[in-house]
Amino acid sequence: MIEGLVQLFLWQGLGELASKFLLPNIPGPVLGLLFLVAFLFVKGEVNQPLGMVADTFRQHLGLLFVPASVGVVLFLPDLKTHALAVSTALLVSVALTIGVTAVVLKVLWYFSIKRNKSQSHE
Amino acid sequence: MSKRLPISEIWVYLSGDPLFALIITLATYQLGYLLYVRAKRNPLVNPVAISVVLTSLLISVLDMPYEKYFEGAQFVHFLLGTATVALAVPIYNGFKKMQGKFFQILFALMVGSAVSIASAVAIATWLGASQSMIGSMYAKSVTAPIAMGIAERIHVSPTLTAVFTVITGMLGAILAPYILNALKIHQWWIRGTAIGVGAHGLGITRAFSVNEEAGIFASMAMGLNGVISAIALPLVLSYIRVRF
Repeated sequence: MIEGLVQLFLWQGLGELASKFLLPNIPGPVLGLLFLVAFLFVKGEVNQPLGMVADTFRQHLGLLFVPASVGVVLFLPDLKTHALAVSTALLVSVALTIGVTAVVLKVLWYFSIKRNKSQSHE
Repeated sequence: MSKRLPISEIWVYLSGDPLFALIITLATYQLGYLLYVRAKRNPLVNPVAISVVLTSLLISVLDMPYEKYFEGAQFVHFLLGTATVALAVPIYNGFKKMQGKFFQILFALMVGSAVSIASAVAIATWLGASQSMIGSMYAKSVTAPIAMGIAERIHVSPTLTAVFTVITGMLGAILAPYILNALKIHQWWIRGTAIGVGAHGLGITRAFSVNEEAGIFASMAMGLNGVISAIALPLVLSYIRVRF
């Protein structure tokens, strides 16, 4: 547990440093993520403590944004006035996003299968 | 020696302590999570939504200013960055399973992400939402830790972004099976990727409970979408803001 956390903190720290001095446009944690992906590719496997902590984070990711979301109390009057606009936008947008992503991916995949088949026939 | 303290003084002491904010944050989440497990992980019984509603009610009833609450709760908030780094693991695991589908997934993901932002901003603008509401629509399909980082960089409210992100995740997790069935998409990896792009964390939990492969692709899509959005969104927006 601690071993996995230490690794994550180190990569995060490295990401923050890189964000501060080299790539100020990208958030530090995102850079830390990219460094860790690169490291995992070099290593060729995810060590057990890291895998365990990453799994726990994934499962309870929601807990971590409770403090920020509670800030919604500051926006309640504004949200009430725009309730219809906000809920419609969120509902339609998420449905479209899922639908469009799936259809695009399926079409691309069909084309790639077709091309592979015609290539193997020649 | 035992001079009894009036309740109000005990309360003044407790509410000034960061521990109190931590306790209500964790306890309400724990309660929400127990209900969620008991409801067989029904996306309607969302532990985050339950925790946010209960905590908001509690601090309103107790007349505790949000800033005061956040002083304590920031210790939980801090771990968002670490959780973002941890997304490297599902991305890596997903990459190993992709087998030549990388560019297809990357393209679909970018189209989906663009549709997500364009549709939300267009509809919210059309229905007359305020600027702060519309701004917070930009990053709502990105996983919350990255979304809030993006929100800070493009100068919109991280709070509203987080709230919209949670709602999006709930809606996506509920609607995804119906949408994908209606479109006759049966491949688990395609279903997973679409859910990861549209409904991030909650969608993934749902995907994992249905099919392992869908869960892995969903996690990978969520992480990848987050990284690309974090890099691209501030650039695209600053370009648009300069042009128009």
